[in-house]
Amino acid sequence: MRAGERKWGGWRQPAAIAVAVAFLLPLWFMVSGSLREPGLPPPRAPELIPSPISTASYHEAFDLVDLALYTVNSLIVVALTVPLAVLVASLAGFGMLLVAGRARVVLVVFSFAALMIPVTALLVPRFTMFRWLGLIDTWVPLIAPALLGLSPFYVLLFYWSFRRLPLELFEAARLEGMSPFGMWRRLGMPLVRPVTIAVALLAFIASWGNFLEPLVYLFDPDLYTLPLGLRSLETLDRTNYPMLLAGAVVATAPVVFAFMIAQRYFLHEDRGAGWLGR
Amino acid sequence: MSERRQVVLMLTPYLFGLVALVAAPALVTFGLAFTEYDLIRPPELNGFDNFRELLDDEIFGIALKNSLVFAAIAVPLRLVGALGLALLLHRRITGVGAYRSSAALPTVIPDIAYGLVWLWLFNPLYGPINVLLRWQGDSSTTTAWGVQPPQWLTHPNDARAAIIIMSLFTIGEGFVILLVTRQGLPSELYELAALEDATAWGVFRRITLPLMAPILLLLLARDTIYSLQWTFVPALVVTEGGPPEFSTTYVPLFVYRNAFEFLRYGYAAAATLLMFALTALIVWLQWRIVRRWRKGFAI
Amino acid sequence: MSRIALEGVQKRFGETTALDGVDLEARDGELLVVVGPSGCGKSTLLRCVAGLEAVDEGAIRIGDRDVTQLRPAARNISMVFQSYALFPHLTVRENIAFGLVVREEPKQVVRERVAEASELVGVVDFLERRPYQLSGGERQRVALARALVRRPDAFLLDEPLSNLDAGTRVQMRTELRRLHREIGSTMVHVTHDQVEALTLGDRIAVLDAGRVRQVGTPDEVHGRPNDRFVAGFLGSPAMNFFGREAARRFYEIPKGTVLGVRPEHVRIGTHGLRTRVDLVEVAGSDAYVHLDRGLVARVPAHLRPDEGANVGAAFDRGAAHLFDEATGERREWQ
Repeated sequence: MRAGERKWGGWRQPAAIAVAVAFLLPLWFMVSGSLREPGLPPPRAPELIPSPISTASYHEAFDLVDLALYTVNSLIVVALTVPLAVLVASLAGFGMLLVAGRARVVLVVFSFAALMIPVTALLVPRFTMFRWLGLIDTWVPLIAPALLGLSPFYVLLFYWSFRRLPLELFEAARLEGMSPFGMWRRLGMPLVRPVTIAVALLAFIASWGNFLEPLVYLFDPDLYTLPLGLRSLETLDRTNYPMLLAGAVVATAPVVFAFMIAQRYFLHEDRGAGWLGR
Repeated sequence: MSERRQVVLMLTPYLFGLVALVAAPALVTFGLAFTEYDLIRPPELNGFDNFRELLDDEIFGIALKNSLVFAAIAVPLRLVGALGLALLLHRRITGVGAYRSSAALPTVIPDIAYGLVWLWLFNPLYGPINVLLRWQGDSSTTTAWGVQPPQWLTHPNDARAAIIIMSLFTIGEGFVILLVTRQGLPSELYELAALEDATAWGVFRRITLPLMAPILLLLLARDTIYSLQWTFVPALVVTEGGPPEFSTTYVPLFVYRNAFEFLRYGYAAAATLLMFALTALIVWLQWRIVRRWRKGFAI
Repeated sequence: MSRIALEGVQKRFGETTALDGVDLEARDGELLVVVGPSGCGKSTLLRCVAGLEAVDEGAIRIGDRDVTQLRPAARNISMVFQSYALFPHLTVRENIAFGLVVREEPKQVVRERVAEASELVGVVDFLERRPYQLSGGERQRVALARALVRRPDAFLLDEPLSNLDAGTRVQMRTELRRLHREIGSTMVHVTHDQVEALTLGDRIAVLDAGRVRQVGTPDEVHGRPNDRFVAGFLGSPAMNFFGREAARRFYEIPKGTVLGVRPEHVRIGTHGLRTRVDLVEVAGSDAYVHLDRGLVARVPAHLRPDEGANVGAAFDRGAAHLFDEATGERREWQ
């Protein structure tokens, strides 16, 4: 019985601590900066925790623009986008597994190629298309990419994970008369739960933080999502840092929260590389 | 419903999305690049005029240079950083999950919020970075070494450096991918190396690096492409393309402005196409170089 | 060339004890086979000798050096892994040369040693190929060559034949024996296959649950097993065991003992206990006769009885073994 190494060696732990601290700094300063009292002069010495602590900036942020509405809007968009994206990506990934030979290769190559195309290259034609369909200034252009599974990357991730499952499992199910949808629902999905969680998380992060598309498609302020709301804050009062950071915290908190829950499934020390397929 | 039909049905939404949202737009961009189009009047074909104009356009030249320089500096740094993190944190030690999460955290912050934080951090007067640098200084404007701290967002080169620094913290995705890759390597090879008295550098050079090379190459290509687009939000939000003139205008911002502020969609499409071609060229070159270098890996 | 010795080695993994006070010696130049069921600790034992695992208590000696605290590379041993651990991105030649190149030996030396090792194991024709192009047996040879090239004090082999198909396995067994003859180094070979152990080893150490049950030549461990476990583990088919009541049909045995007799010592014929033949398995020139009452006999195939026949079964008292019912220890006939 082989045990995993459970101890740090020498310089590794201090290095890991230093790294962790460095990467936590942006978040730390986001929160601490938001708690500064608005209008104070620059501090003399670096301060990790502002004194006095004040939540005035949060009130200001919610007063200046309708941040509450924007938050709700973002939640609605995400609630529609993420499940759809996970559904489409997992179905497509599974479908790619079942499709044999040439068709499968074509699909994989196509997906890879699509991955390499920068979003900016597609921005203008998509805009033109949605305009022609009369869907500018709605949420449809924001949700539509979920049809893609949000990104070919997620589809490939599912495909790759399904592929690592033992083939005999599906052959046995087939013999028993299980349909493809049945296999997807009862065999495929339950066995790739960590991947589903990972994709859901990634889709949530992408959709919640999406800035470019709302910027381009939304004009009616009542439809604004949170990132756009932050942009409004910035254009209205660019130097009110505590207020801007307060907005940033509101926008960041849900994602960080979701991340902390989901990361157990693939960053924990007990998870070796196996979570991708087992 | 027959089996075959079900499988096709499974793939339909994705295929539809691929065609409608990726393939078709890509082709349209290709076509639009040869027109002048402002969304009001129908597009007028103008041959290669857009491209000729681009080559003369000073701003485009600056944007292109900025983007390329950024990619040239940021991509290697990011990749090395992600690899370093993966190799530091891949062992299954109790509590390592917390360190991994910390390293990945900046990546999940929404772009705009991320930009705002750095807007604050980089503020020459109030921002924590310069406050720290000035802390032990003589007067209220100099650092401990007696010189002025970088003025970050108000000076061209400092602003460019700021954008690069911002990109160094969002290596979470590459980190996780390399982490999983490293964990998937057979441990016996490393045990063998222990028996054969290989140094840590020797192990890295002869085992880790060659075996991770395919994924590294893939990440290199992806990060190159990504870096050439990523600059959009920081440039828009943090530096607004400035400080004057255009020192942090990168190609994505250039495209955005021409398309949505100046309403010159054809021109923007041409710029996009040019950028895409350049990206493809760079990726291809990278592939060739790494391929040749890999041959030299053999002992 | 050196002996390998474990003295009082204790190794725990969390709650579980993998090695419980192991004292074992592989003599200079001998091929010691360590055999035991899955989970008995044999791989752990090998890894402790290699230095890939640290021992909690006890000492490891190679030659007359105490290597317990030394890191693996300083112990001057080579190891062949169960999965061969060949570098997929290197050619066979580069794989074999690995240990020498890492130690920065001069090119001339590397070339000579690689040629020597590859000839010894018979891979000279494959030197420029890559592992994925080779069969299991060929890969194994490459792994062996790589271990040989450094001319270490001793060799450790961790179930090297387990991943091979049956035919190749038999062939490689002979190869290993021949190799050992030629180079004469001390080798410790770990396996779970008792047939492999009996045919391969100069001496055999039987391990169970982290303890050494018996060490001796194949004849000794097979012919005079120290305890019930060793008796039941070695030999194919396994030894027949009878409690006092059942043994009474043949011989009277003391209270608190168990009788054991190997199938090859059971004679089928007209004399002896009347039994019925349940099942007959033919394996080449042998036949395994399963009699009712749980007795198994091994007879030459051409002398086998029919299934369902009534026959007599008997064996010499001298061929039977006695074991203590409670402790399993060997007991002598009075």
